[in-house]
Amino acid sequence: MILGRVTFGLLAVALFSGLALAPFWSAGRALESLETLNGATPWGFFLRGVHAFSAWGFLLGTLAHLGEVLWKRTESRLRPAVWWRSVALLPVAVLALLGGFLMRGDAEAQAALAVWREVSSSVPIAGRALAALLLGLPGADLAPVSLHHAGTFTLLAWLLTAEHGGTLLPDLRSTVLAALASFAAAGLFPVSLGPPVAPDGALLLGPWYLLGLQGALLDLPVAAGWLLPLALLLAVGLVRHADGRARAALLALAAAWGAGYLALTLRLLLAAR
Amino acid sequence: MSSRRDFLGTAWAAAGVAAAAAGTAVLGRALSGSPEPERGVRLPAELLARAEKEGGLVHEGLHVRGPAASPVVLDLTCTHLRCRVAPVEGGGFSCPCHASRYDAEGRVTAGPASRPLARPRLSPDGAGFVARLS
Repeated sequence: MILGRVTFGLLAVALFSGLALAPFWSAGRALESLETLNGATPWGFFLRGVHAFSAWGFLLGTLAHLGEVLWKRTESRLRPAVWWRSVALLPVAVLALLGGFLMRGDAEAQAALAVWREVSSSVPIAGRALAALLLGLPGADLAPVSLHHAGTFTLLAWLLTAEHGGTLLPDLRSTVLAALASFAAAGLFPVSLGPPVAPDGALLLGPWYLLGLQGALLDLPVAAGWLLPLALLLAVGLVRHADGRARAALLALAAAWGAGYLALTLRLLLAAR
Repeated sequence: MSSRRDFLGTAWAAAGVAAAAAGTAVLGRALSGSPEPERGVRLPAELLARAEKEGGLVHEGLHVRGPAASPVVLDLTCTHLRCRVAPVEGGGFSCPCHASRYDAEGRVTAGPASRPLARPRLSPDGAGFVARLS
């Protein structure tokens, strides 16, 4: 499937542009280092844009490919364990991207960091330790976040994609296509940074792919931050084991989840205006 | 083909061992119940005088106002999901994450937060105070 191959290519572009960005980023001065990269480093804004667009493309490609697989009913071609690990690629991709968002260090990233620390802490038994492991201790720098962004989640994303696609590396043609698309997007739409502190009374928005969860947390308890995604993953994962009405019911549940998520995103955007 | 499968098998085994080790460490820490350390913020006399003169100021995540001898100090951490709230024009505070609102005394005026802003314990420190947050 061409979509899957290009998605793997986008992951490769995100990985290599991330490696190129790493020397310019500082864990203790995240925002300042990125402002310098954006404003004073030749082609810095472009490199950052390539990294951002390829990573967003990877997430969108993963979602679109999942939809394609479910639409064509080809999930049964994968062994159950491989299917479940492929479904796990979705949260892994989101966590990898979220790490990149937090590494901006601006007011939006600081707010998202505080919220994700609470969401992680709400996981029973090991929540607080999990938050410390993934996000570092409150008040500390962003080194643990960057480690998991560039290491843990990127490595996991690569392994899961490689296993799903049955190939360790993306093919050259798909990678070139992914790179060209990322270059074009980065050139056309510069990726900006947020303000260092929240503007008076304004609502800060998290990353676009998590706006639905941010909207849900206006009303629901904090545990919804991990319970809602878990419900979606279980519904999608179980599709591999269901036929007929059960399969249709699971797909309807996932579709309703997606529609609800979009509605919550829209509601938050309207509230922020 | 089999070498690729071998590689992925080894990679999954390594990832499993790493996850188990991390999980053990996480669980160990969780069960040991290590409390979060108390944080102290110094409020020197000059800062308190300035806060009194200016009608209030923000210092290291705290809002300080009132007479220098008996200041009113509020922790600017939102009680909903711990985002940093900010003073708004006309008094009071608002949270930039989920739009909770508090009045000048730190009481909730709009959700989703349900508890008022915390007031740190103040202990005398020379001519000023130390605000202790837990």
